[in-house]
Amino acid sequence: MNVVFPRSLPELFAALAEPGARILAGGTDLLVRLRAQPEAAAPATLVSLERIAALHNVAEEAGGQSHSLDGVFGPARLPGTLHRVVRLGAACTHAELLAHPLVRARLPVLAQALAVLGSPPVRNMGTLGGNLCTASPAGDCLPPLLALGAEVELASASGARRLALADFLLGPGRTALAPGEALIAVHVPVPGVDVRQHFEKVGRREALAVAVVSLAALVRLGHGGIIAEARLAWGSVGPTVWRCPEAEAALIGRRLSLTALSEAAALVRARVRPIDDVRASADYRREVAGNLLLRLAEL
Amino acid sequence: MPSSKSAPRCDALAKATGAERYALDLAPADCLFAGAFRPGAVLGIAHGRLRGLDPASVAAALAVPGVLRVLTAADVPGTNRQGIVHKDQPVLCGEVIRHAGDPVALVLAESALALRRGLAALRADIEPLPGVFNPEEALKKGAPLVHAGRKGGNLLLSALIEKGDARQALKSAPVVLRGEFSTPVQEHAFLETQCGFAQLLPDGVLDMTVSTQAPFRDRFEIGHALGLDPLTIRVRSPYLGGGFGGKDGSTVQCLLGLAALCAGGRPVRMAWDREESILAGYKRHAVRLRYTLGADEDGTLLALSCRLTYDTGAYAHLGGEVMELGMEHAAGPYRVPNVRVEGRLAYTNNPIAGAFRGFGVAQVSPAFEGLLDALAAKLCLDPLELRRKNALHTGDENSSGVTLTSSVHLAQCLDELAAHPHWTGREAWRVAAPPLTRRGVGVSCVFNGMGYGRGLPDMAIAKVELTEAGDFLIYTSVPDMGQGNAAAFALLAAQELNQPPEGIRLVQPDTERCHPSGSSSAGRTTYTYGNALLKACAAMRAKLLTRAAMALMADEAEALELVPGAVQHRTTGRSLPLAALARFLSRDDRLSVAEFLMPVAQDRPDTGRGFAIGFPHLFFAFAAHLARIEVDELTGRVRVCDYVCVTDGGRVLGRSCFDQQAQGGAAQGIGFALTEDFQVRQGLIQTRDLSTCLIPTALDLPDIESLAVDGCEPTGPRGLKGVGEVGLNGPAPALAAALEDAIGTRLRDFPLNPERVLAALKKRRPSSKSGRESGTNSATKAGPKPVAKLGPESGPKPGLKPGLKSERRRA
Repeated sequence: MNVVFPRSLPELFAALAEPGARILAGGTDLLVRLRAQPEAAAPATLVSLERIAALHNVAEEAGGQSHSLDGVFGPARLPGTLHRVVRLGAACTHAELLAHPLVRARLPVLAQALAVLGSPPVRNMGTLGGNLCTASPAGDCLPPLLALGAEVELASASGARRLALADFLLGPGRTALAPGEALIAVHVPVPGVDVRQHFEKVGRREALAVAVVSLAALVRLGHGGIIAEARLAWGSVGPTVWRCPEAEAALIGRRLSLTALSEAAALVRARVRPIDDVRASADYRREVAGNLLLRLAEL
Repeated sequence: MPSSKSAPRCDALAKATGAERYALDLAPADCLFAGAFRPGAVLGIAHGRLRGLDPASVAAALAVPGVLRVLTAADVPGTNRQGIVHKDQPVLCGEVIRHAGDPVALVLAESALALRRGLAALRADIEPLPGVFNPEEALKKGAPLVHAGRKGGNLLLSALIEKGDARQALKSAPVVLRGEFSTPVQEHAFLETQCGFAQLLPDGVLDMTVSTQAPFRDRFEIGHALGLDPLTIRVRSPYLGGGFGGKDGSTVQCLLGLAALCAGGRPVRMAWDREESILAGYKRHAVRLRYTLGADEDGTLLALSCRLTYDTGAYAHLGGEVMELGMEHAAGPYRVPNVRVEGRLAYTNNPIAGAFRGFGVAQVSPAFEGLLDALAAKLCLDPLELRRKNALHTGDENSSGVTLTSSVHLAQCLDELAAHPHWTGREAWRVAAPPLTRRGVGVSCVFNGMGYGRGLPDMAIAKVELTEAGDFLIYTSVPDMGQGNAAAFALLAAQELNQPPEGIRLVQPDTERCHPSGSSSAGRTTYTYGNALLKACAAMRAKLLTRAAMALMADEAEALELVPGAVQHRTTGRSLPLAALARFLSRDDRLSVAEFLMPVAQDRPDTGRGFAIGFPHLFFAFAAHLARIEVDELTGRVRVCDYVCVTDGGRVLGRSCFDQQAQGGAAQGIGFALTEDFQVRQGLIQTRDLSTCLIPTALDLPDIESLAVDGCEPTGPRGLKGVGEVGLNGPAPALAAALEDAIGTRLRDFPLNPERVLAALKKRRPSSKSGRESGTNSATKAGPKPVAKLGPESGPKPGLKPGLKSERRRA
């Protein structure tokens, strides 16, 4: 197996055009998978993103620059949003993002997820783009970015395009990436200061654990602590990140009280359709998917 | 003379810097690669008739460049049977596979890649047979037989320990409690998986270097399986990267020996990857336990009766011995006058169970401690006081009828724990729980026998050499799997010979250079070999003083003493360097050899039935553990906040090794009790790698406080006892007790996973507002004996201090 290290996007696209080429980001998923696969199924060439400087940037941009992008919560003009977007380079490692002041200040929900992703060595190697393209329902970055309304920037030799993250993730291990295309960056609208951000992962141990259930929640509180908008995204309870519009709607106009959250939790439990696997039963996932909402009362 | 207090263990620097050479680090560069083909796991078959290898696939494997041989059962010389006590396990299966990890072929290749390709090409034709996966089902009439035609069917061993009359005593006991418990399979998960290399030398010697706990016994196991004279087998055992019992008995040895016999004199290496290690390695026995405990109204234990069913999987390994030790410990470290312990050990088509630190005892600890806590709750007694009241002391008769003439300092362990701020301050800590969090504190009281037990002599032979350079070589003969016995040997020798640490060097076990000794296991390693070593060193010292007398013109050897690097005349200070003294002596005269045989119980009780060997034990290490935990109400997750081990290991020789044993044992016990959750379904392992078999990480463990009581075992080297195993037995019961303190429900099925904890919380939640308990205390009232059936929801909560009694009575 060859490994090549392009230094620019044109070199990357050229390398990807070769038959049997496959992108190697951090390798924390890919290399484990390749080891388990029959040799015949292995790609001929791995194309590393490590040395493409353009994929390692983190920057804040005015929201208006991105096309078709509204604020996190409805139209960009809505009070409570910053009209700004953070652009995260797809090859940034989790550790780089976790340490980045913009991520910590603007996107605490993502930082909270990154802090419990894998372990320090995994965070040093694994990348944001890799986490998204692996498209595991248990991927720790997925629920926060989905709740944040992130868009992915895809590029190939024939041009670039943007997709909402929800449209990018098609199923377990499946994305909308076309052959020869690479995930270049993730654009994340910055929530306003009146938006509470919360992430919780339930694993079977404190590190190096795959999520059994996770919840990313963004809640915008209006006057008097009344919930103006809620975005809730669960990991590991379905084939892709799962949203529950009924529960979100049920919270609007209420306070973050145990009563309101318990009612929303009941809606979640009634609608979520998790599966059994070696890590947890469907019943446990259903119960906990609802329960995790109660933590919001502590926000 | 080296201090035992602060000096780092002698292997610390080499291991910390990565300089230490483990078995495979020593393999020559031109090794061939051997690997086993285990088709059951691929086909999803745990029990099947092997019709054969697909000939086309064998041809395809042999056509892979670099693949040299594909060996099958037909190529195995000798009996093709391995096993420590029962020779029931084929090296390569020829007719039947009895568990999913059974090997049916061995591939020999020039490179790791060729081996992988060769193995991938092979196909086996296996007809599935009905399997049996539950030991109780296995013992029923008509169950599929794991070993067809075996007399006794799937029942490998049935044994009984009976002292007094437990049935009668239970009938008249004022308080009787019952409980059913289960403990799961556990994976050793050592850092270094099973591995080694071997070469058939021109003189016919099969020279092996293996990660093994029992090099001397290995020779006989390999010889029996492969039809070789044990004298022609040399086994070397450098430092192991972990063992925990999983390398006691043949892992790679027989396969590797077979490969070397077929390699035309070239060296061959074999290393199991993590998946193969989990698939084919030995596991801790899963056990079901049914307990009945009878006590007086003041908490004095009167009788204990229990029935234990151990699942040994497809092969015996040390299953009988594991169950024996569990049975011997089934009544806990307490005075119980009437005891009846029934044990049954069944073959199933599950993975092979075998030796594992805590050897059968880790499974019974949660049961006897669970009932002790239930008794404390029922009688409104402090659980620690109840244990103190019943704790064994020196001179007591234990549950097997053995009078404990050995050191027993369990009461001191409990005293230490009773005074610990985590115990005295437990109520304040508990009520200060953060929102959505329950807190609980639990204790446990455990023990673990040392040595092989009566009927299986526990022996070691130490050899010490004065080298020409004037330092000393210790031929260690009992492997160090990481527990620090080699460092203890170096320390003992340095002290006894009055030499600085650099004056002592160790030869790791090698059946050609060292004298035969028992395995590195059973809490006996440092005790038995250490005693032999002290004798050998004392004899060496006496010899050297006598030999030096002439050169130093001393009329009496008593006027001389060993000092670092020399023999010195006490009064004149004249000295003879050891390097000079060595020149007076032939090599034979520079050697000293001594052996030690562990004492056994003199008054062999007639309480045990069915044990061929290993019953009873005389020496025990004791410990009292405390756990403080937090339970998250939303997820059922348990966080261990603090953990304390107080250990009676006799006198402490090296404090860092002692603490590491206590902490390592507790850490592995916490994994066993909480996170690991090894799962087998229809004989197929579901937790196939370390992403699902979840040993605790550093973040899952608190700092573990290790305290030692000031004990002394008079027969031990410098008064010590083995402490390698006892630490593993404490966490499961201590955590279950802490959990009960936190949520009001005793969980009896392990592990205490979030799923079970959340279900227990949910059941209790309706009553949680009005107080966490609603148990009554009928047992304390006079009248006919109350019998409490302890389902998961009944059983009042233990652990309340006397001040809370009245409140609980009102509840």
